[in-house]
Amino acid sequence: MGSHAHYREAHPLVFVITHWINLICMVMLAFSGFYIHFPFFSAGFMGVARGMHFVAMYVILINLVFRIVAAFFVKTANQLETREVDTDIKNWLPQAENKHQLVETLKYYLFFRKEGVISGKYGSLQKIAYLATVPLTFIQAYTGFAIYAPFADASFLAAGTTLVGGPMNMRIIHYFGMWVFILFTMVHAYLANIYNFAPSKIIFLWKETLPEGKH
Amino acid sequence: MAHEGHNALHDLLAVRGVTRRDFLKYCGSIAAALGLSETMAPQIAAALEGAPKLLPTLWLNGGSCSGCTESIAQVDSPDVATIVLDYLSTNYFETIMAAAGEQAEKQLSDTIAAGGYLVIYEGSVMTGQDGNTLLVAGKKGTEILSEAAAGAAAVIAVGSCAVDGGWVYGYPNPAEATGVQAWLNHEGITTPVVNLPSCPVNPEWIVAMVVQLLLVAGGDVATFVEKTEWLTRSYTDRKYGAVDLLMPKGIFGQSIHDNCPRRGHFENGEFVTEFGSKEEAMGYCLYKMGCKGPQTFTNCPIVRWNRRTSWCVEAGSPCIGCGGLNWVDNNAPFFHRLSDMQMGDALGNVQPGTVGAVVGGVAAAALVAHGLGMKAAGRVGDGPPMEEMKAYDRKRLAKKGGDK
Ligand code: HEM
Ligand code: HEM
Ligand code: HEM
Ligand code: SF4
Ligand code: SF4
Repeated sequence: MGSHAHYREAHPLVFVITHWINLICMVMLAFSGFYIHFPFFSAGFMGVARGMHFVAMYVILINLVFRIVAAFFVKTANQLETREVDTDIKNWLPQAENKHQLVETLKYYLFFRKEGVISGKYGSLQKIAYLATVPLTFIQAYTGFAIYAPFADASFLAAGTTLVGGPMNMRIIHYFGMWVFILFTMVHAYLANIYNFAPSKIIFLWKETLPEGKH
Repeated sequence: MAHEGHNALHDLLAVRGVTRRDFLKYCGSIAAALGLSETMAPQIAAALEGAPKLLPTLWLNGGSCSGCTESIAQVDSPDVATIVLDYLSTNYFETIMAAAGEQAEKQLSDTIAAGGYLVIYEGSVMTGQDGNTLLVAGKKGTEILSEAAAGAAAVIAVGSCAVDGGWVYGYPNPAEATGVQAWLNHEGITTPVVNLPSCPVNPEWIVAMVVQLLLVAGGDVATFVEKTEWLTRSYTDRKYGAVDLLMPKGIFGQSIHDNCPRRGHFENGEFVTEFGSKEEAMGYCLYKMGCKGPQTFTNCPIVRWNRRTSWCVEAGSPCIGCGGLNWVDNNAPFFHRLSDMQMGDALGNVQPGTVGAVVGGVAAAALVAHGLGMKAAGRVGDGPPMEEMKAYDRKRLAKKGGDK
């Protein structure tokens, strides 16, 4: 960690791009979602907000599916400080180094231990969080389509609406889904940048950080 | 036969001073209610004129405020709806029948004995205290419904109370009110139930169902059920579990929001934020005043109310979603966009937005505190010193060492 090396192999350009798309879509979805939830200014914006939401929701889904498929083809660094690569999915899912480390990671973040924890490409918590964004996005898409008139009658969606007690409750779940993403992004952006900004430089600017003596 | 019907209708129209033109116009509005083209009006008129005989009907009241009765009886001038409803020969109707006492109850039992009748049920089914929460003529309301429904050709559940218990079912529901379909499921009675929710029922919808019965089915209920386009809405009753409700698709297939005359203002982001404001006078959208139009599926904006005069949103009120299921719990508070979440006695009723903001705020504060902790622990910058070996492996090694 720390001011250690951050190589491009950790996040090849495709994933820098998918991450940008994710970020932009999420900002668009949360902003337009807030507006749809409660129009906080009146400037002819509802049509735009809904349009924004309806475009971004397809883009983020396509992007997610692409990101998952690409994980099976693109090779990424299997550790943070190496140029050694392996198929991305192996580095995305928990690795051998992550075994037995979840509780230790928790202890570390709760200040119950001093030393940093050995981890795979990402720490155990990080892996859980990154993987969780996948089902969460699909749940958000499901609840979103369930309140979207052109699709709401499809039996696959209508069954869910019945299960939660009607379209009002579905809207509330979709609304809470937004808060889950906001919480994720807060914690994620915090942890990614707490030591220094080297991780952000690589994921946003694709700029390597090379400590003295390395190349 | 058809000829007789024709005469009967003419007499009825004449008595009430309704011209044939008014009548055809009305048939056009029924067509709209049924989701048919207005060009169907002459066929609807023909079906009404040709209706062979009156259909014996029982109008039963359960746990109701009689608002639905009020809704169909609000006529102050000749009205075609009442004429169409005259096709139902109502043998029993607690609120407005002339008969009383034993004579009335005899009409009820005679009609049931004769069979081939229609039941219109208004109000919730009161199952609390073993059914003793509603007694009529010394008999449990639940028993009356079961007996009448078992022998009926069909039941029309009018108004939200009859559909799923309505506001009577609202939490905590001490009378254990439920809907007709839920009760008949429980009793194992399979008579088809047509559900017309909203509080009160729109009389045009009952008329539309009667017309549909005459038009597509020549008065035969089985054909009517088979040939009408239905949609099934399902819900879970707190006492009786999952219930599937049959509703006419032409009436309950589209949201209020999608047919609302204020929709243009919605898209433009022009909202009323306060009653009595300039925005209200300009007829802006009522979304921010808690309009439930986007989540409510009825054709109120098309058919409208009080003989097609106006309806809630047109009259200036946000839709309170009375045509939905479990509508009180799902839509209160009526002037808020989302319903409250019922969080038990300790927390009371809370708006989802409050929950989101509190959780988000706590998380933000926690992160700031954590960041200060990380700084204090000297981890910021280069990160912490790394462990040489996983704690798990250290322990295992130590244990192995001890064993030796
Ligand atoms: C991924 C697929 C998504 C789909 C299909 C979707 C779909 C929808 C739809 C159809 C609406 C209702 C719009 C209207 O009725 O005018 C909506 C509202 C909303 N969406 Fe999404 N959405 C998605 C993702 C997201 C995400 C990721 C967020 C937040 C980060 C979000 C936040 C919201 C919010 C807050 C609302 C307003 C809810 C309310 O208060 O009524 N959505 N969405
Ligand atoms: C800052 C730039 C622009 C703004 C603010 C703008 C704004 C608008 C607005 C407000 C409308 C009416 C939309 C509606 O009524 O729903 C419109 C329609 C339209 N605009 Fe633009 N526009 C811009 C640039 C352009 C450009 C560069 C083009 C074409 C090269 C274009 C082509 C059109 C067309 C074809 C329509 C549809 C007209 C119709 O069929 O009603 N616009 N634009
Ligand atoms: C303020 C916004 C954000 C910042 C500063 C940020 C920063 C970062 C950084 C620095 C990494 C690399 C982590 C590492 O190598 O240690 C990363 C990875 C990742 N981020 Fe973000 N991120 C943001 C928003 C988001 C959002 C909104 C999402 C999705 C909802 C997201 C999902 C991911 C995922 C899944 C990864 C893993 C890498 C990959 O799968 O390609 N991020 N982010
Ligand atoms: S008033 Fe209600 S139903 Fe009409 S457009 Fe606004 S939110 Fe939709
Ligand atoms: S507009 Fe809404 S509140 Fe008014 S009658 Fe129709 S469903 Fe009920």
